[in-house]
Amino acid sequence: MADAAQAPVQSGAVDSLHKWGMVIDVDLCTGCQACVVACQAENNIPLNTADHFVKHRAMEWIRIERYWEGEFPNVKARFIPVTCQHCGNAPCEPVCPVYAIQHSTEGLNVQTYNRCVGTRYCGNNCPYSVRVFNWEPHRWPESLHAQLNPDVTVRTQGLIEKCSMCLQRINRAKREEARQGRPMADGDLQPACAQACPTSAIVFGDWKDRNSRINRLANGTRAYHMLDELGTQPNLVYLKKVDPNYTGHGPEHAGAPAQHATRSLPVISG
Amino acid sequence: MQEWRELSSPKINDDLLKFPLHTPMWFWVAAAGLGTVIGAGTISFAIMIGGGLQFLGYNNQAQWAVLITNFVFWIGISHAGVMISAILRLTQAEWRRPVTRGAEILTVFSLATAMLMPILHSGRPWRTLYWEFPFDFSRAIWPDVRSALVWDPSAIFTYLLSSVMFVYVALIPDLSVARDRSLGVMHAIYAAAAMGFQGTKRQWRLQAIAGILLSALILPVFVSVHSIVSWDFAMALVPGWHSTVFPPYFVIGAVHSGVSAVATLMAILRWIFHLEDYITDDHFDSLGRLLVVVSTTWLFFFGMDFYYGIFSRDEMEIGIWNLRIFEPPYNVLFPLFLLTAYLIPVPLWLFRNVRRSVKWMFWTSICVNVGMWMERYILIVPPLSNKQAFPFSWVTVYQPQPIEWLLVAFTFAIVSTGILVFSKIFPIIPLFDIKEGQTLRRVVQVGRRTVPGVVRD
Amino acid sequence: MADGSRGGQGGVTRRQFLQAAATTSAGAVVFTGCQIPAREFMIQSRPQMAEDILTGYENYYATVCRACPAGCGTIIRVIDGQAKKVEGNPDHPLNLGKLCARGQATVQEQYHPDRLQGPMKRTGDRGSGSFLDISWDEALDTLRGRLEQIRRQGRQSEVALITNPLRAHRHFLVERFAAAYGLQWHALDLTGEAPLREAARRAFGSEILPEFDFQNARYVLSFGADFLGPWLSQVHHSVEYGRFRQGDYRAGQFRPKTSPQRGYLVQVEPRLTATGASADEWLWVKPGSEGLLALAIGQVMLAGGAADAEGARLVGGPRALDNYAPDRVWEQIGVPAERIRQIARAFGTQRPALAIGGGTVSTHTNSTESLTAIFALNLLAGNIGRAGGVLPNPGPAINGLTVNPRRDSLRDWQSLTERIRGGGIQAVLVKDANPVFDSPGALRFQEALANAPFVASFSSFRDETTLMADLILPSHLPLEEWGDDVPDPAPGFQIHTVQQPTVRPLYDTRSFWDVVLTLGEELGSPIREALPWPTFKDLLRERIRPLHTEGRGSVRETGFERFWVRMLQQGGWWDEGRTGESRQAAAVPDVTRLTSTFPAPQFDGGDRDYPFNLVLFPHNTLGSGENAHLPWLQAAPDPMTSATWQTWVEVNPQTAREMGLIEGDIVGIETPRGRIDLPVYVHPAASPSVLAVPLGQGHTSYGRWAERRGANPLDIVAPVTDQATGALAYGATRARLVKTGRRMSLPKYEGTAESVQIEEFQILKITRDA
Ligand SMILES: Nc1nc2c(c(=O)[nH]1)N[C@H]1C(S)=C(S)[C@@H](COP(=O)(O)OP(=O)(O)OC[C@H]3O[C@@H](n4cnc5c(=O)[nH]c(N)nc54)[C@H](O)[C@@H]3O)O[C@H]1N2
Ligand SMILES: Nc1nc2c(c(=O)[nH]1)N[C@H]1C(S)=C(S)[C@@H](COP(=O)(O)OP(=O)(O)OC[C@H]3O[C@@H](n4cnc5c(=O)[nH]c(N)nc54)[C@H](O)[C@@H]3O)O[C@H]1N2
Ligand code: SF4
Ligand code: SF4
Ligand code: SF4
Ligand code: SF4
Ligand code: SF4
Repeated sequence: MADAAQAPVQSGAVDSLHKWGMVIDVDLCTGCQACVVACQAENNIPLNTADHFVKHRAMEWIRIERYWEGEFPNVKARFIPVTCQHCGNAPCEPVCPVYAIQHSTEGLNVQTYNRCVGTRYCGNNCPYSVRVFNWEPHRWPESLHAQLNPDVTVRTQGLIEKCSMCLQRINRAKREEARQGRPMADGDLQPACAQACPTSAIVFGDWKDRNSRINRLANGTRAYHMLDELGTQPNLVYLKKVDPNYTGHGPEHAGAPAQHATRSLPVISG
Repeated sequence: MQEWRELSSPKINDDLLKFPLHTPMWFWVAAAGLGTVIGAGTISFAIMIGGGLQFLGYNNQAQWAVLITNFVFWIGISHAGVMISAILRLTQAEWRRPVTRGAEILTVFSLATAMLMPILHSGRPWRTLYWEFPFDFSRAIWPDVRSALVWDPSAIFTYLLSSVMFVYVALIPDLSVARDRSLGVMHAIYAAAAMGFQGTKRQWRLQAIAGILLSALILPVFVSVHSIVSWDFAMALVPGWHSTVFPPYFVIGAVHSGVSAVATLMAILRWIFHLEDYITDDHFDSLGRLLVVVSTTWLFFFGMDFYYGIFSRDEMEIGIWNLRIFEPPYNVLFPLFLLTAYLIPVPLWLFRNVRRSVKWMFWTSICVNVGMWMERYILIVPPLSNKQAFPFSWVTVYQPQPIEWLLVAFTFAIVSTGILVFSKIFPIIPLFDIKEGQTLRRVVQVGRRTVPGVVRD
Repeated sequence: MADGSRGGQGGVTRRQFLQAAATTSAGAVVFTGCQIPAREFMIQSRPQMAEDILTGYENYYATVCRACPAGCGTIIRVIDGQAKKVEGNPDHPLNLGKLCARGQATVQEQYHPDRLQGPMKRTGDRGSGSFLDISWDEALDTLRGRLEQIRRQGRQSEVALITNPLRAHRHFLVERFAAAYGLQWHALDLTGEAPLREAARRAFGSEILPEFDFQNARYVLSFGADFLGPWLSQVHHSVEYGRFRQGDYRAGQFRPKTSPQRGYLVQVEPRLTATGASADEWLWVKPGSEGLLALAIGQVMLAGGAADAEGARLVGGPRALDNYAPDRVWEQIGVPAERIRQIARAFGTQRPALAIGGGTVSTHTNSTESLTAIFALNLLAGNIGRAGGVLPNPGPAINGLTVNPRRDSLRDWQSLTERIRGGGIQAVLVKDANPVFDSPGALRFQEALANAPFVASFSSFRDETTLMADLILPSHLPLEEWGDDVPDPAPGFQIHTVQQPTVRPLYDTRSFWDVVLTLGEELGSPIREALPWPTFKDLLRERIRPLHTEGRGSVRETGFERFWVRMLQQGGWWDEGRTGESRQAAAVPDVTRLTSTFPAPQFDGGDRDYPFNLVLFPHNTLGSGENAHLPWLQAAPDPMTSATWQTWVEVNPQTAREMGLIEGDIVGIETPRGRIDLPVYVHPAASPSVLAVPLGQGHTSYGRWAERRGANPLDIVAPVTDQATGALAYGATRARLVKTGRRMSLPKYEGTAESVQIEEFQILKITRDA
């Protein structure tokens, strides 16, 4: 994916030193949920109760989707972490009536909780469904307040939240960079999910650093943008799952799942 | 040729001002009933403002649902007012006369009610101020004009404002009559509102010109409002919301539900105010004919929306239609919607007896609006439930909760109360218009030719 | 942008805007062109807030994760004395800066609202839950009084101390105390991996678990071991798995693999685990037949000459396994013979190839034999001591630490239960164990415990066992106390990690290890002499001193104080040069024993009455229930089903269709030992002959988030054991399914649609070659 490095520097963005991004290697994700819990610990995400799950209102800024293929015993399950793609041409941004969403000069899609009136139009328009509305007030038992991260606001009820690419860590690292007077090295700065991920399926870095890991990974043959056809110009690059036995929806293959690899939507198809 | 009875001017005044000037028992009963629903609705409203949206059945996928459905529904209803008044006025359709004011009032109240919905639906309603009005310059908070959510309130505000003016201009002569027949506080109110209208030739002329001008000006607004409301959807990336026919499809759908609502309203007015002399079977007949045309056009657009989805072979689009038509819970709703919005009422309207029966028209028009409410629901909820290619995250369990139904009932109660209170204060059928009609109908034999008794300016 | 007075980049300053607004009547025109100052969109982080806002003092402390037995190194972020976040220690050789969900949740345990806040004594009936707060003096007096009284009666051996399996100096301390006082010590780990250790001893000749060198392997054949899930050392295995697949993505070490070297994983198991989902091939086998499959694979290798010569000799020659030729045994395994041969060929030709086993394999009556057969494949692959193979681990770096920690088998546990029931035990002391919840229902341990004259618990939570206690002496939680650890398995070389207090104790609790030392002091001779240290920290410092004097490994400093501080900063000490030595010669007799008949797995319940195998598995985040009190872990979706906050039963779609079951239908799972009612999850990978149920839920008392949800499947397993080790064979029970007609909404993250990708819009793209 040669163009990933030149991936969108969005409208009006003044040249800034950094352009943050992530590469997610689908081949490495084991579905372990470490990133999900790390994100919750870092970003003061409210406790998801059983009721939230029953009502499908659970809040996760990064979620692991699991897709089935095939039927027993030739069955496969695959995992893919999905979080905000920090789109260069973000469908969520122009639909917000109050400018609560803005593209930062460093390639982030920034949500300003203060401004959000909670129309959820952005939620509809995000093709990746990563914008979560906080239906209920965030509450923790008093003793758990001790754990809350003071670098991150506790959001009030009635607004949309999503992955900030751990903006608080980016800000801190930049301050540190300014203080020490030298640029940070690739990997010095990590969001909570990438930091925790045991298999390093999530790699964070700076697209403007030519030698950064994300640039080198995104130059490989496995790189793709999720839902590229929508023209959202995501700032996140995925690396394809490798499956030597993959047959797509073709027929037989010795010992590997073949049929029903994917489903076709009904009625007529091409 | 429509039936026609000659009525004297004093009788018209007596008949049409009876309700504003005298209060029958049933008014209090109706007021109490509607008041109860409004009370319950207000409590729900307060609960929502205090506790937020947690009590709704909404979920991470269905982030817009009943409240927006209801919003689009009432915007749709509001379209009848102008449709009837402006078009019929400009084309000088005679039968419009008793219908116009009711329709316009319906517009005003349903618009105002519709605007409650997005406010309620937003997560932090107390902040919606800067959604539309730039007020906090120091923090650079102003609306983003790229957002359809800025266009749509602008359009609706414009429409509301023009409809209010429209109603008001038409009301002035009647206000002067009411002023002359009332005493005390009411007299003062009517006097102020009538703005010194005395029925001079110049005043009549100005009033007529203002009416015609407003009719002409409001027509583009009427067309654009629902087009713009459709952009809330058509501008979005959500599959199932994008077909290019959305604007005209929304407009014609609005007219379909709106004219039906006018029919319902007229039936009710005729029953409760005993206006058999004014709202005649002819009127229902005409509305019925109009509805056959409108609803069939609407069905055509609905078919186009479906056809585009299928024909474009966009798999996501097809998936949404599949969900709407074949998968639970929408597979139950879908046939119900088609039956109520078209298949039941329209064939019935082909029969003259049905069109001329108040009872039949009442029930079929109600039927249409039940169907059109479901149409909006089916339009909005399923595409969000299966948004984009993430089947792992698709959720089709959205169920409106009691509070949502209560809020829907609340909106019906507000509109009904609004119309009731309006008709308590002002004549719901324009006196002057009826009289003008009476006069115009009088013909004079001049030689071998028959000419109208009154020649228009 | 730290300078807030500047206007936004590419935008308009406030003044410019007001000027513009003042000079134009058409405000709307202005709005289109304007942008908001970028600073308005910055979420204010603490370092950027105004000076008048007080900020806390921040520190990072290295310590050890205690959320599972793996023993990863962690860094705790502490602000103003409050632990905020747990991060992986990037220096620690086991987890290299990575961490699992359970490790993250340590802070949630620390600030759990239902922690016990001080010592208590029972006031009401046992198990009624009414306790009275008392002082530590009174609590310790009571306990010491009891122990003294029992000693006067000469019945010290009738005191039972129950702990979880301990390592390093905790083991050292408890072992000494137990010996000096004369009590009996039981380390409870019924869902643990006892057969694994025995099999490792038989196959590799070492009591120390080896390191499986995934990262350098080319072909991994894994039997039942959910090594990417909660098996043994999740983070360590996952880090290595990442490199096995795609190389090293770590900053500074960045070395992605090129395509042909991507490791290939085959997972063999009766229930699809997350590891199975990540495998290139997933092979379903009949529960308990994994060892047979390993022997069949070995037979093909031997017969085809693909086996390593030395390995073949150890196993008994080229014809040693002929009884297990695929054609003879495939029916018992449930895998076509050709498929077995195909895997054997691949395993035999790819180098380095690695075979591992555990997890569900460890839950049968023939576990040890199965695992021995599986491990023997490594001998045939000739990978012992080689990169990408089985790397022997060295023992602890400090003398006097055990290499074979105490672990009770189910048989030991049964006899203890019977002694308690019969009144043969005067006092039961429980630390970090919850036997009432953790032992099979058939043992009726809770009922037995009611007969104990005195029960003391050192738990900080009111779990089921603590509820039965007469005296509660709540211990510090891991973030509050001193400790140390020797990871087992280690990554192939010596490690000694230290655990230091990172926050002040939140409540009136005490370190159990200090309490033991205090008791030892007060109980007098000979215990005082055996435990001469005033505190556990003193013990650690003195005992760790040799690491300093030896002058090797990752920390080398001149003075001990400096050494100690550096060690605390680094989170421990390790010596990559000190690896384990291969002692596989000792294995010969045990491996050859395989050539006789392989023991078929025995099941409780006939297959006519009980048509399904009941497969129980540890929950990804709740383990076997010890983490059920933490809401993050309850709410972390199960990788396969995405279910949360519940126990579920995985049912094959065809079976479900035939029985008319859909997701959320509550069914009864009946075994000869009892019944539990659970909601169904219709699972595309579930075998028609298996019902799989996660462990972890069913707590009746363990804090607000654990209680009254799901069911504990241990309640219905038969107390059957692995024949070789006596370990609980919790996979050896058969079950049947009965409909109840009741329904519930299964809380899960997944939506309501069938989760299969759309062909035209694959968000998860797949390629055949890397
Ligand atoms: N693949 C594909 N391509 C197509 C089509 C298709 O069906 N498929 N359809 C074709 C058709 S029919 C059309 S009409 C074209 C449309 O293609 P374009 O003409 O490119 O249409 P828009 O994307 O609406 O872009 C118009 C631009 O004008 C800006 N703009 C909006 N209002 C104003 C204004 O008042 N003044 C100025 N100066 N700028 C303004 C908008 O922000 C936007 O950037 O696309 C064509 N291309
Ligand atoms: N939501 C939305 N609405 C819009 C616009 C928008 O961008 N978005 N743009 C506006 C503009 S500028 C325009 S020009 C109009 C365009 O409005 P439409 O003309 O409705 O445009 P399309 O949706 O591009 O095409 C209509 C249908 O024709 C099908 N079609 C394609 N090729 C053929 C063919 O060879 N024969 C036949 N019979 N059908 C074919 C397409 O698959 C599609 O289903 O929409 C306007 N309205
Ligand atoms: S932590 Fe990494 S491996 Fe685990 S679920 Fe997240 S992305 Fe996947
Ligand atoms: S992924 Fe969604 S929320 Fe994130 S930038 Fe793109 S559209 Fe916006
Ligand atoms: S929910 Fe908030 S951020 Fe999203 S569009 Fe509405 S106001 Fe903007
Ligand atoms: S980058 Fe930060 S906010 Fe975004 S998903 Fe990862 S941990 Fe959460
Ligand atoms: S694997 Fe165990 S020790 Fe390591 S982080 Fe996870 S819970 Fe902690």
